[in-house]
Amino acid sequence: MHPILQSWRRFATWMAGWIPVGAILVLIAHLSGRMSYLEATAVMAPAIVVFAFVCLSPFYVCRSLPLRSSHPFRLMMNHLAAALILTAAVMLIGRFTAAMLVPTFPGVEQRFLAAVPVLSVIVLLVYEMAIALHYAALELETSRRAEILARESQLKALKAQVNPHFLFNSLNSISALTAINPAEARDMCIRLADFLRTSLRLGERLTIPLAEELALTRMYLDVEQVRFGGKLRVVQDVNPACANCSVPALVIQPLVENAVKHGIAMMDEGGEISMSVRHDQNWMRFTIVNPFDPEAPSTGRNGIGLRNIRERLEAFYGTAARLDIEVEERLYRVTLTIPVRTHK
Amino acid sequence: MMRVLMADDEELARRLLREYLAAEPDLEIVAECGNGFEAVKAINELRPDVIFLDIQMPKLDGFEVLELIDEGAAVVFVTAYDQYAMRAFDAAAVDYLLKPFTSDRLRASLDRVRVRLREARSVRLPADLKQAARAPGEYLERIVVKDGPRVHVIPAGKLDYAEAQDDYVALRSEGKSWLKQQTISSLDAALDPRRFLRVHRSYLVNVDRIARIDANTKDTWLAVLTDGSKIPMSRGGYNKFREISEG
Repeated sequence: MHPILQSWRRFATWMAGWIPVGAILVLIAHLSGRMSYLEATAVMAPAIVVFAFVCLSPFYVCRSLPLRSSHPFRLMMNHLAAALILTAAVMLIGRFTAAMLVPTFPGVEQRFLAAVPVLSVIVLLVYEMAIALHYAALELETSRRAEILARESQLKALKAQVNPHFLFNSLNSISALTAINPAEARDMCIRLADFLRTSLRLGERLTIPLAEELALTRMYLDVEQVRFGGKLRVVQDVNPACANCSVPALVIQPLVENAVKHGIAMMDEGGEISMSVRHDQNWMRFTIVNPFDPEAPSTGRNGIGLRNIRERLEAFYGTAARLDIEVEERLYRVTLTIPVRTHK
Repeated sequence: MMRVLMADDEELARRLLREYLAAEPDLEIVAECGNGFEAVKAINELRPDVIFLDIQMPKLDGFEVLELIDEGAAVVFVTAYDQYAMRAFDAAAVDYLLKPFTSDRLRASLDRVRVRLREARSVRLPADLKQAARAPGEYLERIVVKDGPRVHVIPAGKLDYAEAQDDYVALRSEGKSWLKQQTISSLDAALDPRRFLRVHRSYLVNVDRIARIDANTKDTWLAVLTDGSKIPMSRGGYNKFREISEG
C-alpha cells in the first residue's frame, strides 16, 4: 500500500496539494478551450480527482524499476508508456464528463476537445514530475534505513564486553580460596556467575532502567570485594526516584570498573569509591569519585573505554548527554549527565 | 635451598602461590611484597634466587622493578595479562605464568628456574636487555631511577634532556640530574620519537623544551632550552629537528 494512503492525514494533505494543480488545469481549459471558469471546473473536476490518484501509481512502478539497477532505456520506455496511457485515460474521463454536461452547457464538448492538446502536455509533464518525486522519496528512505542499520550495528559493537582480565583475576582468587576457605570459594563462583549472566542479559538490550544497571554494578563490586578485601570500600547515594530512569545498557558499570582498575587497585592502601545519582525534571546525573595515585605506573587503555562510552552516548542522545572528567590532586571524578527518560 | 621472593598486590594471589610452594622441599620464602617499591627494596636487600613478579602493581610495575634490581635472580612473571609475554621474555624472564595456573604448571616453572640458576648463576645480562621491546606505537611514559636505597620516577613529559656518560645516561628533570645505567640508544628507542629527538650522538632532547636553535660552527648547532641549557646538535640532529617542526 502506498504510504500516502496509509493515513487519513497524509491523504488529506496530498489532496489539498492538488488544489493548485487542479486550478492550473482549469485555467488552461479556460484559456485554450474558451470555456467559462464554471464550465471548466465542472468538466475537469472528476478528471483531476482521478489524476490525483494516478499520480500515486509511480510508487509501484518505481519500486519495480529501481533507478540504480534498471537499464536506462527500459526505464524510459516503461515510464513513457505508462505516462501516455494514463494521460489518455485522464483525457477520456474529461471527454465523457463534457459529453454528459452538454445539456447544461451547450457545445462544451467541442470546447473541451479544443483544449485537449495543451491539457495532455501539462498532464504528461505533471505525471513525469510525480515519477521523479517518487524516485527521490525512495532514495531518501533507502539511505535513512541504511543509516539506522549502521547505527544499530555500531551500538552493538560498542557495547562494553566483559573484561577478560577481570575474569582471570577472579578465577585466580577462586583458585586460592578453594584451599583456604571452600565456602567462600563457592560463594565467589556464584557471585561471578551472577555478574556474568546479568551482564550478558543486559548486553542484549539497548536501554535499561537505572536500577538494573546499578544492580549489575553491585554484582561487579561484590566480586572485586573478594579480590581486594578491605582495600575496596564503596559508598552509594542514589535518589530512589531515579530507579526507573532509562540509561543505555552497560554504560555505568565500565565507569565503576575503571575506578577500581585505575584507582583503587593501584593504591597501596586502597580507598573509597563514592557513587551518587541525582536528578531534576530534565537531567539525571551519575557521579563517581575515586582516589588515585598520580604517580602510579600506567595501567593503559583507560582512554579507549571512555571514548567508547562517549560514542555510545552520542549515538543515543546526540549532543544532549555529557561525560565530564575532573582530576583533582588525588581524586578522579567522572560525571555522566543524560536527559531524563522513563524506561518503558 | 632456593630463596624465593614474591611480589603481588593481591593477598589471595600471594596465598595461592604460598600454598603451591609449600609442597616444594628445597625452597624457602624470604619475603612477600605488595607493591613495586617494597619489591625493589626487598630484592636488593635479600638477594633472592627466584622472584615471582606480578606486572600490574601499585607504585612500580613488574618491568620497572626489573630495571631497578641487581642481576642474578631468576624472574618468573605471574599475571592475568597475556599481552606482556613477549616483553617479559625480552626482559630475560625465565617463565611467564598466566593466572589462574595449576600447581603442575608452577612446578614446571620451578624446573626451568633450577636449570637457569645452575647454568647461569654467574652470567650478568647486559642492562639493555631489560629495556624490553614495546608494542608498536606504545612508548615509555616514565623512567625509573635508583636513588640510593630509594626509587625516583621521572614522567617522560618532565624529562628535559638526557646525556650519554659512558655506561650511564644523565637524566635532567626539574632542575636536577639523575644517573641511570642504560645506553642513550636504548632510551631513545623506548621514548616517543615525536616528543624526543636524538639531536647528537650523546644527547636526547625533549622537543617541547627547545626554545631556539643557534648556529655554532659550520656544521653544528646549539639547541637552547627553555631553562637556558645549551645542547650541541649535529647536522643529522638539526635535519631531524627541522623535519619534525616543519612536518
